[in-house]
Parts: sequence; structure tokens; C-alpha cells
Amino acid sequence: MILAAVFELWSSAWPAGLTMLGLGSGFAVVLLIASEKLKVEVDPKIEQIHGALPNLDCGACGFAGCGQYAKAILGNAELLGKCAPGGAETSAKIADILNLQVSDSGPPKRPIIHCRAHADDKTIYAIYQGIQSCTAANALPYVQACGFGCLSFGDCTRACKFDALHIVDGLSTVDYDKCTGCTACSKACPRHLIEMVPFRYENMMTVACSSKESGKSTRAFCKVGCIGCGLCVKQSELFKVEQNIARFDYAQYQMTEKEEAAMNKCPTKVIIYRGKTAPEPPQPRSRTAAATKA
Amino acid sequence: MDTLNILLMGFISVVLINNLVFTKFLGICPYLGVSGRIDMAFGMGMAVTFVVTLSGTLTWMIDNWILMKLGLEVTRYVCFILVIAGAVQLVEMYVRKFFPSLYDSFGIFLPLITTNCAILGLCLFLNLWMIESLLDAAVRSFGAGIGFTMAICIMAGIRENLNMADVPDCLKGAPITLITAGLLSLAFMGFAGMIR
Repeated sequence: MILAAVFELWSSAWPAGLTMLGLGSGFAVVLLIASEKLKVEVDPKIEQIHGALPNLDCGACGFAGCGQYAKAILGNAELLGKCAPGGAETSAKIADILNLQVSDSGPPKRPIIHCRAHADDKTIYAIYQGIQSCTAANALPYVQACGFGCLSFGDCTRACKFDALHIVDGLSTVDYDKCTGCTACSKACPRHLIEMVPFRYENMMTVACSSKESGKSTRAFCKVGCIGCGLCVKQSELFKVEQNIARFDYAQYQMTEKEEAAMNKCPTKVIIYRGKTAPEPPQPRSRTAAATKA
Repeated sequence: MDTLNILLMGFISVVLINNLVFTKFLGICPYLGVSGRIDMAFGMGMAVTFVVTLSGTLTWMIDNWILMKLGLEVTRYVCFILVIAGAVQLVEMYVRKFFPSLYDSFGIFLPLITTNCAILGLCLFLNLWMIESLLDAAVRSFGAGIGFTMAICIMAGIRENLNMADVPDCLKGAPITLITAGLLSLAFMGFAGMIR
């Protein structure tokens, strides 16, 4: 009986199957002819360059994706070396494909966040309950007392495609192991706290503050802000104080004892190391004093 | 004269009265997805017109001359999808060869014409409307494509102007687009019942 059912199924199905097969092969032949007639010659170098790129489509180069960038390089070799995640290795590979030589583009750039205020260090006047985004919060005048520091709503963490940025205790923190230097975070920050810095060493010294307020008012609302006292300038010529904020000249970055001394002299301990193996930043004097009192 | 009359009526019917987008609500995905700029919308409309004319005519032939003769109407959907997919492949090759910039700007939407329900819908409607001659089927298929092009171009024109309009924040983006689409289709519903 099962055999009869199978036979019936077969006898009623074969015309349908045969028709589909006929139609399918008919179209296959037409498409085959068309694909031969309408063939588009693609430069094999584009495929090769595309293969050499990391294929992350992060947009650091300024193009929509790796595919468009590959095409653009072939047309204009000056665009070589714009791939931040790929770095020097990728540039070398592409240069090999194009028979070019790359000049050294310097050490890879990594983001540094010019703020070191964690949740405890900040003064907050009122609890913000608006849209949970730095860009939205930045439009309001008094989300937090400091008009320059990290808002910690995580626009940068959302911009990061590599899971290299996290809000740790109210401060955006870079995971330098995962960071590729694609610059997405520095473009996302509405307060422009994130600077792309050439990392000559594993850890880089930085002034982790952006407050342009006078020393007195900075002191009033932030325990770890730069007060623009200028003690660091006296120790090392790499520091400069402009608009109440110390800045570090990365173009001439050299680690000497003078910079170490400046770091130790800093009263609010705002000069710290950032990097893969950066030591735990020292606590400012005011806070250690408060701790011993308590 | 009579034949010409039928063809003309069929064409007007499928462009205005039975417009696939406005009255049958088919092909909404590209209608909303590619209607950002008028030049791209027109290109999309042309691509759909080509595919729908080709596949409508072919499916009518296959339906009437093969499937109905063999009593295989159940395989209609499968066959139609096969024809549409083949036609889209053909269009893709053609566009890539002769209009590379258009090909780049379409991106994923070009192969997605395969799954544009307006096309499969039209192929099935040809059977439902009981179209009897090949010429009528071809004209109506072409008309469906023209109707789609018209719909998407009207939409793109409105959306280009909407970009400059002061839309309330809560309606920006998709909501205002959907409201516009609804009002547009309401206007075209006014034609309902003029001709079959």
C-alpha cells in the first residue's frame, strides 16, 4: 500500500518536476549567455586591495566602506595610509600591490581622554533625566557643574565598533588592547575631550582635564581638575598653560626626569599616564587629606 | 479599434485605478526605501518597470501555455518566482555594464527587486483579472511598472521637499513618510471603480 502511494505521488509529481527543470534550465542558458555578453571587467587590483584591508567598514578613512576606499586608492595613491585599524601593516601590503613605497607615517594614533573625574570627583547640581546621550545633555547648561568634563552618557562607547570604550564609574575609559585608532570616538564626543595622540611609548603622559574655568572655580566643582597653576611649566618646557589649562606638546614628546618631576609636583594630580600598562593614577592631595581626616 | 480600446483601458486601469502601490499596497519596501532622492527613485522605477514587463509577459505565457495546459496551476508561485529572479539577474548585469554609478547607488535594492511583492503580485493579478491576450498582458505589465515609477517619483518629490519643511520633532523621519504615503494613497483611492 505504501508502494502504491509512493507510485501515485511519483506519477503525479513528475510533470511538475519536469516542467520546473525545463524552465530552470531555459533560464540558466539565457543567463549564461547574458553573463558572457554583459561581462564587466573589474581591475583585479581592487579585489586585492580590498582583501588586504581589514574589512571592518569603520569609516576612519573617510569613505563609506573598505570597498569604496579600495577603489579610491587605485585612482589616487595619495590616499594610502588612511586606514587607521589596519595601520602600517595594511599600508605596506597595499603599497606592495600597487608597486609603491610607503613613507613611515609615525607611531599609531590612539585616543586620550582629557578628563579624569570619576563619579565621586564631580559636582552635580541636579539629576539629569533627559535623553541619555552626551550630545543631548551637552545642549543643557547645567547637567553637571563642569562644563568641560566627561558627561558619561556614552556617546563614545556607542560610536566604538571595537568594544574598546567603556564608562567606568562615571568616566569614559579606553581599553587600549582593543583600540584600533579609528577616530570614531573623538568625532562622537560633543565636548571634544578625546584627542588622537601618536603613541610613541606604551604609556603616554597627559593632562587629563579640559576645564578652561579659572583655577578657583575648577577647584570648587572638581577634585581632580587642572587649576592652571603652572608648576609643571617650571619643571619642563613641554608643558604650556593656556586659558587656565596645562597642555602637553606631543610633537616633542620625550620622557625625561623633568616630566616625571612635573607629574609629581602637580597639586591636583591631573598629569597622569594613559596606555596599555598605565599605573593607577595617584590621588590628589586634597582627597588623601580628607581620607585621613575621616 | 476595439482591441486598442481594451489595451488603453487596461493601461489606464493598472496605472491609476489599480495602482499596485496606492491601492493594492504592494512593493512598499522599495517605495519607502529608495524614495529619498528623485533621480534614484526614477532609476528604481525604470528597473522595476523593465523587470515587471519582462516577467509579467513571460509568466503569462508560461501560465497560459504550459501550466494551465498541464494542469499544474499549483506550481504557479514557484515558476513565477523563478522567472522574476532570472529577469532581475538580467537587469542587474545590464545595469552594472551600462550604468555603473546607478548600480553603485542602488546597492542592495537592485537584487531585492526579486522579492518586490509588486512584481509577483502583478503576475498573479494577470491571472485573477482573466487577461485573455498576450498583448493585453504585456501592456498591463508595462502599465504596472509605469504606475510604480509614478508612485515612487511622486513620493520622492514630496520627500525632497519635506526635508526642507519644519516637521515637528515627534514626526521626523519615518512617521511623516508613512503619513504622506497614506494621504497619497487616499487621493488615488478616489479613482476606485471608474473602470475595472
